[in-house]
Amino acid sequence: MASNGFCARYIRYQFSPCITIYIPQIWGSTSHTLTMSGTSFKSTVNEYLEALPDVVQSRIYDAPATCLSIFRLLPSLAKFYVMSMLFSPKPVAIKDLEKWCQPQARRLQYESLKRLRALHLIENDKSGTHVRLHPKFQNNFRDCLTGSQAPNAFGIISTEPENKNVDIKFLDKFASQKWETILHFMVGSELPSVPSKSVLSLLKLGGLMEGPGNSAATLRITNSGFQFLLQDVNIQIWTILLEYLNLTLDLNMDAVDVLNFIFILGSLELGKAYSVTSLSETQLKMLPDLRDYGLVYQRSENSPRFFPTRLATTLTSDSMGLKTPSMVLNQTLQDAESNEAESVDTAHQESQMGQIVLETNFKLYAYTNSPLEIAILNLFVSLKIRFANMVIGQITRESIRKALYNGITADQIIRFLETHAHTQMKQLAVEKLDKKIEFDISHNINTAGGAPQSKSTDSTNAQHRLEILPPNVVDQIKLWQLELDRIQTFDGYLFKDFQNVKEYEVLCNYASEVGVLLWSEKSKLRFFVTADGMTQVADFASRK
Amino acid sequence: MPTASKGVLVRCDPSIRALILQIDLTSRGIVLQELDSTHLMIKQEMVQFVKDELNRLLLKNIYDPMDGDKQ
Repeated sequence: MASNGFCARYIRYQFSPCITIYIPQIWGSTSHTLTMSGTSFKSTVNEYLEALPDVVQSRIYDAPATCLSIFRLLPSLAKFYVMSMLFSPKPVAIKDLEKWCQPQARRLQYESLKRLRALHLIENDKSGTHVRLHPKFQNNFRDCLTGSQAPNAFGIISTEPENKNVDIKFLDKFASQKWETILHFMVGSELPSVPSKSVLSLLKLGGLMEGPGNSAATLRITNSGFQFLLQDVNIQIWTILLEYLNLTLDLNMDAVDVLNFIFILGSLELGKAYSVTSLSETQLKMLPDLRDYGLVYQRSENSPRFFPTRLATTLTSDSMGLKTPSMVLNQTLQDAESNEAESVDTAHQESQMGQIVLETNFKLYAYTNSPLEIAILNLFVSLKIRFANMVIGQITRESIRKALYNGITADQIIRFLETHAHTQMKQLAVEKLDKKIEFDISHNINTAGGAPQSKSTDSTNAQHRLEILPPNVVDQIKLWQLELDRIQTFDGYLFKDFQNVKEYEVLCNYASEVGVLLWSEKSKLRFFVTADGMTQVADFASRK
Repeated sequence: MPTASKGVLVRCDPSIRALILQIDLTSRGIVLQELDSTHLMIKQEMVQFVKDELNRLLLKNIYDPMDGDKQ
């Protein structure tokens, strides 16, 4: 019964990539949107997976849940390849693979295949002209899709009634409370309770905090810790989990077991109770740790049930984890019938967030006493004066550069200021925008630039941007970032001394097709390729 | 027969290119090839040195409003 529920659920989700099978020729035109989809947290997970030794890699494919999760983490074109090869009993010719893409999408294809090979999902057969899927992965993933996997592959739903009412709202509250305790601890807020010992040692191992010993009082946040705070919750959790994986190796826990459990958690259903009977010994040992991070909820240490929280179930999906404060704010504004608990939450957050005033002279006033917010502001503002309920600071070239050096981007800073802007700044911005649009309509012009002939109100609206922050400050912050990287450098190789134009063009075109060409000059017959692409281009040259 | 040589491609605007060439004048052997008005090829070991030198040269032209406060 339980397993059927799961199949239905992920077939609904997972079959959507199949649609692409019928329209493979679109890959060429959509390349830019696809390259943007790879977010940084996924690349860290992928890097971890790719770096695993072969033996471990082939063992992790034993678990159907892992196969499904790894499939979810693949780029779209790679998903398409896996789906197309999944039900083919024979290896597929490499030549055929290339026919599925338009020539201009060669770069995407190269990247997808590289990823698949690094994960050992596809391998060449003996002849070297055909590729096939990893046999274990193929079997398990096929079973996943057709619903014939082992009944406990995605956990066993506990049927015993729980005494206490554990609903989704409760789980969300539990998870965010646990997680926020960790974040607040990192910035040194005074808390009624400190995170557990295991969390503290993880933070230290991950280089997020430093200090002598592991006691809560002596730990200090590091630069990478600050960067960590500015990340999305999902990225934060993966950072912690990867650190946890490294730790388990030292504790002689089986990394495959640990990884499988993490991936199983990603496929569980929020709000359902799962029985601990299907878990291995290692996985049972993990439960208390995961509870400390707020990934699972257990009523007590020996409870036979556990509940995955939203933090866990969104691990391998694109959807957001817990709501960020600004999202909660937006949602409650739109959603008038939101329930009481949520509006209490919002009011609480409003007292902390949305209280920054930024002036055109780069002075910044923040009405806050939250150590977290002040600490974050201190990253890119040189703070001057602190009162009981506000701080005053100035944005300078040096303060922004300091932040940029620490790996914070100008966009992150601007987004932070925008989401935390004082309500009055937002109101002013909206009023200004309304006036502008009104002026434009009455004079039948368009001061926002773009196409002046379009007279419909909708398109005028779209061209005007809501400017919450003073535009001169925003521009200057962006300029400071540009100034920092006045030069861009790329490692690579310069090809020159070609005999004739034809020889040059063949090689140069190939390099640009696979996306490794950085610079070329036809008149002098020379071009520059990336260090990664060097072997490829050299191979191609020797084949000719 | 085409040849390939290892190095670091630098992409920058012409003014920065001029500055790098200036640096190359004082400490020889940084620039391997002058490619075009916005590209240079330099030695891999010298990348950090070039960046530091550039920073130093550019800093001369910056006005810092906080300077007055510190004194």
